[in-house]
Amino acid sequence: MKLVGIVGSIADQSYNRMLLRFMSTQYRNMADIEILDISDVPMFNQSNDQSDSPAIQYLNHKILAADGVIIATPEHNHTIPAALKSVIEWLSYNLHPFTDKPVMIVGASYFIQGSSRAQLNLRQILESPGVNAITLPGNEFLLANAKEAFDESGMLKDDRTASFLGSTLQKFVEFVGVIGHLNGRADNPGASEDLYATGNCDTTVKDVDMRDPQWLEKAAEKTNAVSGDAYVKLDRGLLTVNQIDRFLKTMPVELTFADENNQFIYYGDQGHDPKDMLASRTPDQVGDPLYYVHPERALKGVATVINNLRNGKTDLFVLPVPGNGPTKHLMHYYKAMHDEDGVYRGINEWVVDLWPIVASYLKQTGKKLVDDPNAKVAATTGASSSAPVEPDPDASTGASEEEEAPTAPTTDASTGASEETEAPMADATTKASDADIFVAEVDETSGASEA
Amino acid sequence: MNKYIAIVGSNADKSTNRQLLQYMKQHFAPVAEIELMEIKDLPVYAKNADRKTPEQALEMAKKIDAAAGVIIATPEYDHSVTAALLNALSWLSYSVHPFVDKPVMIVGASYGALGSSRAQGHLRQVLDSPELKARVMPSSDFLLSHSLTAFDDTGNLIDADNTKLLDGLFQDFEKFVEITKQLNGTLSQDKVNATNVSWQDKK
Repeated sequence: MKLVGIVGSIADQSYNRMLLRFMSTQYRNMADIEILDISDVPMFNQSNDQSDSPAIQYLNHKILAADGVIIATPEHNHTIPAALKSVIEWLSYNLHPFTDKPVMIVGASYFIQGSSRAQLNLRQILESPGVNAITLPGNEFLLANAKEAFDESGMLKDDRTASFLGSTLQKFVEFVGVIGHLNGRADNPGASEDLYATGNCDTTVKDVDMRDPQWLEKAAEKTNAVSGDAYVKLDRGLLTVNQIDRFLKTMPVELTFADENNQFIYYGDQGHDPKDMLASRTPDQVGDPLYYVHPERALKGVATVINNLRNGKTDLFVLPVPGNGPTKHLMHYYKAMHDEDGVYRGINEWVVDLWPIVASYLKQTGKKLVDDPNAKVAATTGASSSAPVEPDPDASTGASEEEEAPTAPTTDASTGASEETEAPMADATTKASDADIFVAEVDETSGASEA
Repeated sequence: MNKYIAIVGSNADKSTNRQLLQYMKQHFAPVAEIELMEIKDLPVYAKNADRKTPEQALEMAKKIDAAAGVIIATPEYDHSVTAALLNALSWLSYSVHPFVDKPVMIVGASYGALGSSRAQGHLRQVLDSPELKARVMPSSDFLLSHSLTAFDDTGNLIDADNTKLLDGLFQDFEKFVEITKQLNGTLSQDKVNATNVSWQDKK
């Protein structure tokens, strides 16, 4: 679940910022909380509309893309800070990202009040028609005497306070789910995915334009990336960068890496012409946000798949891409990657043609593929094209999709993260000549594997 | 004749709250001197290391200090006081505290039917806070609804009942200013307390 936390203070040192930082690290398994700063937002003035300014658009996009918002407010003069009120005014004037958005309020104060009056006031403000947020009822979290509340590493000293905060956040996470149903978001779980990759993850290379065709070169320079004969220690082995490259380039699959920020940061360039690849990639695309490497029609499906992987609804999404003729059976696999703490770290995508494997099996065993009269054939591909071998990949295709990925989106969604493509319903474009070539390849491959 | 400062709670170029105060200035000219005060152009309030208050706010504080009382006209944005007005009040309760024990009258105008009722309630709560600690006249709402059509071409209030109510409230306010002078039990301590709050607050 993707949440954003708004620090209601613009003071250099803010206990409310500390509180949100604590929440984002301590409860990272509960939710992914990105902290947003409001320091650059000008004072609201309806005579000088700056809704389009970067600072306000940034907040607008972030809030729109989030499943929910946490606001940490200090108390100034019995109410919320003017800076926070100004942000809410900008976001309730021409822009309305809070509409139907679940919001949780927390607050820290120097003294005993714990921002009690500011919190009540904030509830009232969030309730107003221009804002129209859906604030978590009850579950107040007031952190009093904030100066003494944190230890040197920014952790809440008092275990009971921390555990109460955790249980409150847990309720909010459930609340977000309930409100999602209310808003019909359950039917569109990808709505919260930021395919523009406007955020950061801890590996994002800052200050290099993601869309720059030279992103790789510039980002590598910026990070002083090792290359060539530099050694890299892996789990488990020691390889040079050149060795890793050779290793990945000779994988019998096409590999793609998208990080948790939805940035496309690697593909295994095996030196083929992009149009000859199973799923086309071009060198200049590396670094692009995922939005820019997919056709418009595929975006909803892409977002849904990513969101299901991010939230653990599925760990592996399998997408058969039929329509490439009888001697090519393309499969796209999207596997969620996690770090040692179980936090989502992106997608390992591999694209593979299964036909050589099937062909090898048939050759080895002397069996042949026949139609299953009982199978319900998924009326997808253009496998009707007459070709020497007549397998019927369609039946299995449909079935495997159902089995592998019960939460998979429907066909229009299924184009998945392969940018080039090949929607399942797409026309069978494979020409007979192509098919012949691949038959030849099949033989070669199986021969090689026998050897 | 008493002198009053009238704070326009909006930073917009066109504001019926400004219009309301302009009307009051002109209408009460025979009995009181009212000077309008604008709040726009102040930087966004943030605590700073040297505890500096912008020059504009210091000027405002001087004028408020010298005035017998303050009239604040507030619009209502999102069920509450505008960020711009909160911002001005924050600067006027940081290194200087001109509102402490200052008599304040709240009025407000809105385009709709409610006349900024919730913002006025909110403003009372804010002015009651320890670093502002104003003396807000109790039980004295002036809620000007449908403010776009409330004034005639010469800037006078069209509705006679409204004018009568405002006359009465202003009369009361002038008396309230006098009465407040007698509420001096904590007077010498109030300024000190307000300042102390901010000292403790200082990190």
